[in-house]
Amino acid sequence: MKGIGLAKGLAVTFKTMTRRSTTQQYPDVDPELPPRSRGVIAHIEENCTVCLLCARECPDWAITIESHKEEVIVPGAARARQRNVLDEFNIDFALCMYCGICVEVCPFGALHWSPEFEYAEYDLRDLVHSRDRLREWVMTVPPPPAHDRNGAGAKEEVVAEKALAAAAASAPSQVDACPNDGSGRI
Amino acid sequence: MTVADVLLITIGAVVLGSALLVVTTRHLVRAGLWLIVTLIGVAAAYLVLTAEMVAWVQILLYLGAVVVLLLFAVMLTRAPIGVSDDLNRPRWPGALVGLGAAGALGALLVNAYRWEKVELPEAGTAERIGEQVFQSWVLPFELVGLLLLAALIGAIVLSQPGDDSVSGRKK
Amino acid sequence: MPAWLDLVVRVLIVIIVIFVAPLVIGQTEHKVMAHMQGRLGPMYAGAYHGWAQLVADAAKFIQKEDITPRAADRPVFKIAPVISMLPYMIVVLVIPLGPGGLVAQKLDIGLFFVLAVFGLGVIAVLMASWASANKFALMGGLRAAAQLLGYELPFVLAAASVAMAAGTLSLSGIVEAWRPWWLIWQLPALVVFFLAGLAEIRRTPFDMPIADSELVAGYLVEYTGLRYAFFMLAEYAGIFVISALTTVLFLGGWKGPFGLDTELGWLWTLIKIACVSFVVLWVRIAYPRLREDQLQRLCWLGLVPAALAQLVLTAGVKLAL
Ligand code: SF4
Ligand code: SF4
Repeated sequence: MKGIGLAKGLAVTFKTMTRRSTTQQYPDVDPELPPRSRGVIAHIEENCTVCLLCARECPDWAITIESHKEEVIVPGAARARQRNVLDEFNIDFALCMYCGICVEVCPFGALHWSPEFEYAEYDLRDLVHSRDRLREWVMTVPPPPAHDRNGAGAKEEVVAEKALAAAAASAPSQVDACPNDGSGRI
Repeated sequence: MTVADVLLITIGAVVLGSALLVVTTRHLVRAGLWLIVTLIGVAAAYLVLTAEMVAWVQILLYLGAVVVLLLFAVMLTRAPIGVSDDLNRPRWPGALVGLGAAGALGALLVNAYRWEKVELPEAGTAERIGEQVFQSWVLPFELVGLLLLAALIGAIVLSQPGDDSVSGRKK
Repeated sequence: MPAWLDLVVRVLIVIIVIFVAPLVIGQTEHKVMAHMQGRLGPMYAGAYHGWAQLVADAAKFIQKEDITPRAADRPVFKIAPVISMLPYMIVVLVIPLGPGGLVAQKLDIGLFFVLAVFGLGVIAVLMASWASANKFALMGGLRAAAQLLGYELPFVLAAASVAMAAGTLSLSGIVEAWRPWWLIWQLPALVVFFLAGLAEIRRTPFDMPIADSELVAGYLVEYTGLRYAFFMLAEYAGIFVISALTTVLFLGGWKGPFGLDTELGWLWTLIKIACVSFVVLWVRIAYPRLREDQLQRLCWLGLVPAALAQLVLTAGVKLAL
């Protein structure tokens, strides 16, 4: 019928008015961000081996790393070992596009997302976060969220439980094997 | 002199002044704007003479429609802001015709009334105008209506697109 | 009370109303529009839910530089905003708030007066649009004029219908004669009057002359600061006036559902005006702007025939009674 759309328009707007508005009053009330929010990147130096993977994979060339090699003399070894020592680790958040590739690619779990986002600056150059700044963000990294109830468990857990089940099966015992293969559901 | 006299004279001066400006100003659109002042002055004069209805009709039709249409048309042209130098306004013939018409009308009115004092008729309310139009003047009223209807139909026919023989223009 | 004091008081009241009512409507629009769009709207100014937002806006407008374009026609450009307010102020003078003396100025042919003066708003628009020396402004002004010329007709015809039904041209007289069943009898006229009124004050969805997305803001484009604020004020004063007129002509003015008309009449009128204003805001939020051709089509093919049919209906019922 012609004109029904007009009535619908009025109805929709009126219904929306009676509902709670979705506005978040940000500076007064902090937003509730999901744990995986991409706010800023934290860098755990202790984990970093200066493998340079992150710097190479970053599409924006936002990461610059400086390092030098040090000899570590291991007693009893034939030759001295070499070790990378980190001098500088900068992420330029003016260049970063928050793609998360660096976090994904880091093999040693040295880079993590933190939901903090209030680091605007008056000067573009101040958006380059140096080592210390990146270390400070580590404190704001939230614990990883719980696994999806219906999803597969973490790999380590699954492997461990499988091994446990296999051991239990080979050595007959009173331990009841998990009927569905102990798929890691909590 | 009563208050009404003073008011009428003041309004008359305003109307005359703005009317002169309409014809003498070299700003095209401002002429239209001065016309608004003139017409408001005339409406005010009607009001002072207690012809309320006529005054408001004057405002509704002349200001609300005629002047708006006029300004609309002027704005569709190249009406510049500021003085336009190429106004084709023959000065002397215009003054002659204007003064002649004013003089003739004035003489006619003065001759008709002389110093005779005319009592102000009762107020020109809607009711009285209705009675007058639909009783004493019903025939002219209907004739005017017929004339307007004919003009309206004529306008519709003329603006019909597609029929070249009538409108005389190509599609 | 001496006559002059009476006059001064009335004029003062009208001036206060014409400056306060638009602010109230504007603030309501801020909030209503925000909530209809799932937002909160202004929250800071005035501490409690941003009630003083428009006061803050006014303070901002006053501080702004008053710019007149070099090519503009200065006197006309400067006087246009003031003229835009005048018609609405004059109309408010005669709108009856309650029975008896609760009307700013009694007029025997109030309806005619109101219709005549109401149409004058467009002259300020034409002045502003031409004097701005801007092609967007000029386009806006032309559209406004074309729109007014079209919508004046159904506007007046719809008002004529209710005047015919009441047998009087006085606004108080129309309210006196009004009966609840007129709501149905005069419904088409009510709708036509309301829509044409919206078009006359160039309110969304009939705001083609302003159309910010294509004409940048039409005739407002060169205005800044206080002069711009005056145009905005005029727009909201227009909403108040059109709501008040709809209330008085079609919704029975001060007549309430359970008596007490003499004591509470003014309250009924105000409540009804508020409801109609709400609908004006609601319509703006719910509907997109009409295109120029749709606008004219609605007027000539929709509203004018409806108004004429309503006139015939009114005459028929009036004769049958
Ligand atoms: S998130 Fe993407 S753009 Fe930003 S530093 Fe990491 S890899 Fe580079
Ligand atoms: S990929 Fe990880 S371990 Fe390698 S340099 Fe980057 S942060 Fe350090």
